[in-house]
Amino acid sequence: MKRDDARDLETGDRWEVQLRKGCLELAILAALWDGRLYGLEILRRLESDSDLIVSEGTVYPLLSRLKALGLVQSEWVESDAGHPRKYYALTSAGRQRVRQMAGMWTRFSSSMSCLLAPLAKGK
Amino acid sequence: MSRDTQQRIETYLSRLRQRLRGVNDQDAREIVEELRSHIMDKAASSGKVAGDSAGEASGELTPAAVDAALAGLGSPEELASQYITDDLLAQAEVSRSPVRILKSLFRWASLSVAGFFVLLGSIGGYFFGAVFVLVAVAKLFHPRTAGLWVFPNASGDLEMSFRLGFGSTPAGGRDVLGWWIVPIGWLAGWGLVMLTTYIALWFVRQYRKSLVLPQG
Repeated sequence: MKRDDARDLETGDRWEVQLRKGCLELAILAALWDGRLYGLEILRRLESDSDLIVSEGTVYPLLSRLKALGLVQSEWVESDAGHPRKYYALTSAGRQRVRQMAGMWTRFSSSMSCLLAPLAKGK
Repeated sequence: MSRDTQQRIETYLSRLRQRLRGVNDQDAREIVEELRSHIMDKAASSGKVAGDSAGEASGELTPAAVDAALAGLGSPEELASQYITDDLLAQAEVSRSPVRILKSLFRWASLSVAGFFVLLGSIGGYFFGAVFVLVAVAKLFHPRTAGLWVFPNASGDLEMSFRLGFGSTPAGGRDVLGWWIVPIGWLAGWGLVMLTTYIALWFVRQYRKSLVLPQG
């Protein structure tokens, strides 16, 4: 691969990483919309329902931060596996926040779609 | 669970716990227990995927499955670092203590240039605030020598400095504010401390909002 192509690929990869990072908070809050989940379930929901493959080392500190911000609450629940699990659920502030973020995301992606339409036609 | 797999998990969590110094004890215990639960679930589900020859889920925690689960979390040092940074910033926001704010700014300064400049500015603000207050207090004990003095220096130019009252007054010098240094110094000093706290916290909040975690 030529040096310029390799550099372009690296720049594109970095942009994609930043894009995914920016969406992570919204993705986690949205994953909790339907009900409480524990950490590994959140990770699996993100992998199965979206293209987001997130490292566990990122999600748990972020959950801790979301809890400190009052957007999620947590409780320990005994499981069949023999050890307790920490479940997270949205607070009312969290539900409000995810609605706001989802609205912003929808508007943003819609405007980007308009901007990107000529590229699709030009294929 | 075999002794070997248990040892691997406990070694990891022990290193993590050591690195979580400074985090509230209860929070640190919860972090460790949550991650223990994650490691066991993740390793068990890897075991189920591998299965045994009959295709039945064994759920046995194999060393390889545990290692994979630990690798997924990253090094305990890096993981703890993410928790600590956020905890320090959260503490600073809640307590508003200049000491906690400076601790969190030291942490931020170690991570970014912006944090370094905010730290410098905050140290300056707190330093001058403290100087004003100290001079105001010193005036009460050293009325003739403490205060804001203007005096000619060696090259004949006028110099201004705060004096806490130790030593003799500078030759040819003049106490600019006299007793007014007491209320002015007190108000200016505490005003500067509060303003520095307000501005530093504003930056801390902006940083927390923009905090992008390194992995993922």
